[in-house]
Amino acid sequence: MSAAPAAGGIFPYTTHTFTLGNGLKVIMIPMSSGGLMSYYSIVRTGSRDEFEAGKTGFAHFVEHMMFRGTKNFPAKIYDRMVTEMGADANAYTTDDYTAYHLTFAAEDLETVIKLESDRFQFLDYEEEAFQTEAGAVYGEYRKNRSNPWEVLFESLQQTAFTTHTYGHTTMGYEADIKAMPTLFEYSKEFFSRYYRPENVVLLLTGDFDVDDARELIERYYGSWEKGYVAPQIPSEPRQQQEKRVNVVYDGETLPLLVVGYKGAAFKPKDRRTVAGYLLEDLLFGETSALYKDLVLKRQLVQYISAGFDRNRDPGLWNVYAMVKKQGDVPLVLREIDKTVEHWQKTLVGKDELAKLKKRLRYQFLMNLDTPDKVAGRLARYVALTGGITAIDALYATIDAITPEDVRDAAQYWLVKNQRTVATLKGRK
Amino acid sequence: MRSLTISVLSMTTAVMLALAGCATPESERVVLYPVKDDPTISFRFWFKVGSQCDPSGKEGLAVLTAALLTDGATTNRSYEEILDALYPMAASYTANVDKEMTVISGRVHADNLDEYYPLFIDAILHPAFNEDDFRRIRTDMINAIEKSLRYANDEELGKAMLYDFVFEETPYGHLDIGTVTSLKAITLDDVRHFYKTWYTNDNVVIGLGGSYPAELLPRIEEDLSKLPVGAPKQPGIPAPKEIDGIELMIVEKDCDATAISFGYPISVLRGQEDFWPLLLFNSWLGEHRNSSSRLYQVIREARGMNYGDYSYIEHFADGGSRQMPAPNQARRQQIFEVWLRPVQHEHRHFALRAALREIQQVVDSGLTEEQFSLTKRFLSKYVLHYATTTSERLGYAIDSRFYGIKGDYLEVLRRRIDDLDLDDVNAAIRRHIQTRNLKIAVVTRDAEAFADSLVANAPSPMLYATPKPPEVLDEDKLIESYPLAIKREKIRIVPVGELFR
Repeated sequence: MSAAPAAGGIFPYTTHTFTLGNGLKVIMIPMSSGGLMSYYSIVRTGSRDEFEAGKTGFAHFVEHMMFRGTKNFPAKIYDRMVTEMGADANAYTTDDYTAYHLTFAAEDLETVIKLESDRFQFLDYEEEAFQTEAGAVYGEYRKNRSNPWEVLFESLQQTAFTTHTYGHTTMGYEADIKAMPTLFEYSKEFFSRYYRPENVVLLLTGDFDVDDARELIERYYGSWEKGYVAPQIPSEPRQQQEKRVNVVYDGETLPLLVVGYKGAAFKPKDRRTVAGYLLEDLLFGETSALYKDLVLKRQLVQYISAGFDRNRDPGLWNVYAMVKKQGDVPLVLREIDKTVEHWQKTLVGKDELAKLKKRLRYQFLMNLDTPDKVAGRLARYVALTGGITAIDALYATIDAITPEDVRDAAQYWLVKNQRTVATLKGRK
Repeated sequence: MRSLTISVLSMTTAVMLALAGCATPESERVVLYPVKDDPTISFRFWFKVGSQCDPSGKEGLAVLTAALLTDGATTNRSYEEILDALYPMAASYTANVDKEMTVISGRVHADNLDEYYPLFIDAILHPAFNEDDFRRIRTDMINAIEKSLRYANDEELGKAMLYDFVFEETPYGHLDIGTVTSLKAITLDDVRHFYKTWYTNDNVVIGLGGSYPAELLPRIEEDLSKLPVGAPKQPGIPAPKEIDGIELMIVEKDCDATAISFGYPISVLRGQEDFWPLLLFNSWLGEHRNSSSRLYQVIREARGMNYGDYSYIEHFADGGSRQMPAPNQARRQQIFEVWLRPVQHEHRHFALRAALREIQQVVDSGLTEEQFSLTKRFLSKYVLHYATTTSERLGYAIDSRFYGIKGDYLEVLRRRIDDLDLDDVNAAIRRHIQTRNLKIAVVTRDAEAFADSLVANAPSPMLYATPKPPEVLDEDKLIESYPLAIKREKIRIVPVGELFR
């Protein structure tokens, strides 16, 4: 087991890492937390891995089925045991990974390991339960559809990607969700393909004994069979020209605008990629000239911000705006373009860059105060890279970014022929 | 006189706290939650004012005033300068306005306290109330009603309607952000007057948590002494009209699924004897976002009808996004509330019947020993998740001050849960839970047809796309004809565009 003390890097806690013979990696981060601990099982599979036609949404659906029990612990018994622990237990699915998380009193660690290792190896459900859960998934889809942003993202992704699986949302296409009840056998295949030790990382944080935890994990997960084969996700061909999509929302909303630039795959040591992440705040954050102009001075938009996500493959780096009047949408787009052009020509001041770096550092540090927050904050990095060393690497790269790097990133990433402009307007 | 009283109290508490190893004194107007190894400092300043204090015709004034403090300029700094100054610290402050409380909260890394605190206190002491900020925030609030709430989130719409419906004609009976008309009627002079009246030195409780230095509290007290003196008169406890039978408000909306919320006022508040057994009962029936609870099991787990089904004995803000209850929503009047997440339109009648039938069954039969003991074990540990951060614990400590609860709330809660027995719980259920007199808020399509079906007690057979076990189908036969005593004159149908006008 390797122990990396907190020294030099940004991450303030000592971490202990080991890998079982079957490839299951375990990261343990002890911290003082009043007897609570968090246990994350991170499956490095998300909707990105749904490459077969007609089978979108299965990463998310299988996440639901993981609560339907095994022969050893049928759903009712599993529920009862989790209930007795008073655990805060849930799961979520994203484009790149699926996370199962429990926060509970550390005295219940063995029970949690027993339950989690069992369902990850021996998930077993009947067709009836499967079909019932398909109804709940469709209910979740319907619930989301009343949110115009969800409607817009569905079209944006479908337009932006012609080949890569980022073309569908994590929920999946509606037709595929409707057809889910007929794909019982496929769901089992999906589970068997991806729920393998080499594709899962356990992340433990909080008040627990590292040696005891290791012994338990070895005992309960040691016999989990290998067998993960990485899916062949088709690469997205380089986009040649700007794309546009205009959506009409079946309801009333302020007009929405998203400008989605093709971004980078997560490479924490790559200066051009990391400088790209800095553009998010610098160009579109609350202290940007654009925000001050559009939100505070002219008050043309209710809201503008950007999300340049960390993704396994090159995803979308989105700029979002909720515009107050339909007629102002083209103007807001022009202002976004003007900002981008400005930063493609101009070097950011050294003071301004230093403030941004300080902000990113404190943003990270201020959100590490509970076991669940630490694990939740690390989960995406673990999923993308298989470990947490990427975090120190990322912040070290941030420290090294120069004004020239920032200008280069604006020139390289924020280009029109690499973007999709999506708008949404209400029916009225 | 008052300051003398406070200083005497402070000295007494100071001695006690010094013995306990705490650095700073607590008093009537101070709530402290020191955590030495937390690298951050949390502020929660509780002003005893909320949306119940909105003048008639100016609903939304409390929210607008508070938002102008935290999202606007001060007389010393423009809002842009404030944003620029907060930016490198990755810190902010915000205002939360509920019916009875306004809490200005913030959190900063200890490294940045010296730069942060002057900004935070300036926001409270010297708001500029300028025209640009006023226009921006008021427009955002109007859009939040006209666009987001009415059209973009049916389940929050249903819950908001229910509160208005249950508390109509009381100071609780309007959205905290007001109505479109009332917001348009508010002027900057109204805001200035409201601020002057309610933001006084005698109407604030200082909440401080984390690794704050000893000298911070005296500095805050001195700074707040610059606010006007005087404690404004608080409104009386809201007295909602007695509900006679089952009353419905159905919102006609061209939506994809039906959102249902129902409930009625209960007099039980946190800290009172019946609160603890009711909390356990409610956890069994519908603990928020928890799959082991009864409603969830019956409606979602066994039948796959929706995404979740929950119940509450205290207001739960932002239920669509929060997993655990937010602090600082303390109220002197609560409701028992059930929230069914959207169901397909053709299942709406069945879902409502299923939920009401479950509740009536537990009223008739009580919890079993097994249900009781399992829920007790669950809740005793689960409540630890209610507040895991210093800021949340500080928030709970402030709420305990509101309700007059002594000691750390989560510890009190666990102790009281451990002390419960089954008879306490079943007796509390019989005293407070019923399905005869309640209000139901529904957002759906074809409201008239739904109303007809309800009044006629028409059978609502469930048709599943997929097979279900025989025990579920047998129970469905009972649910589909479960009678609800709903009279036509007790149903109001409202087009969505008329809500919160």
